[in-house]
Amino acid sequence: MDKNSTALVKKLQSELEAYQNLQKTCVKLVKQRTLLESQLNENKCVLDELNILGPDNKVYKLYGPVLVKQDLEESRQNVGKRIEYISKELKGSNDTLENMEKDMTKHRETVQKLQQQYQVAVAMK
Amino acid sequence: MSASSSDVKTEQIDLAKLSLEQLMQIRQEMEKEINSIQASLQTLYNCKAKYASSKEALESFQPEWQNRPVLVPLTSSMYVPGRIKDLDNFVIDVGTGYYVEKNLESSKDYFMRRVDYLQEQIEKIEKIQIQKSRFLNAVAGVMEMKQLALSKQMQQQQSA
Repeated sequence: MDKNSTALVKKLQSELEAYQNLQKTCVKLVKQRTLLESQLNENKCVLDELNILGPDNKVYKLYGPVLVKQDLEESRQNVGKRIEYISKELKGSNDTLENMEKDMTKHRETVQKLQQQYQVAVAMK
Repeated sequence: MSASSSDVKTEQIDLAKLSLEQLMQIRQEMEKEINSIQASLQTLYNCKAKYASSKEALESFQPEWQNRPVLVPLTSSMYVPGRIKDLDNFVIDVGTGYYVEKNLESSKDYFMRRVDYLQEQIEKIEKIQIQKSRFLNAVAGVMEMKQLALSKQMQQQQSA
């Protein structure tokens, strides 16, 4: 009986640890996603702005402390590519988050089950 | 309108079924959410003020300022003398390291658009904020009712 409950406690602890680790990575991923979202937003704003420019508007890009003159069409393409890239990253991050949430519910359920088993074991004693 | 009121109703039915601990948890989460919403609103207000002040600076530009002497700040406490050579060209930071040269009118227009855009976002988030705080109030109300019922029960048990 006692052996049984110590084994249960060990199982419970490892399960809980796994769950907490998942939670931590989840928080990290959510932060990453927020960052990606804000970058996507910013790039979209820039593209909107570049799209309404005429050929006589000069465009510069900041490299370190200096502004370097850019070709308008090239800048549009570059920003467009960046948006594409960030959207892809965002999609990947959303997918991993979804999977992780599923994993987390699974772990949570096992933790709850183990807790119940443990309580039953203690009550039986 | 009808959809939102029915939403509130289903929320209330759900709330009444929950236990006091669950309600407490919901309230805590809601409070956290509302706090973060408030923080983002503050950031939006700050950004809007920044764009608005840029626009105001442009408004004060007068056409007769051509060749006027100015002092250009090198640091916040040191200036070098300069002269306004070109009144109709401004370089604006449009984000992600890109800068665009624009004339006075379209510069003003740019900042106007930014301020309008931010105002739109602020209004959107304010709406969400109102919804959330309404929900929070509903949760708090149900909690109070439950607590009252609980204390009544205790009193009855004591007197009996």
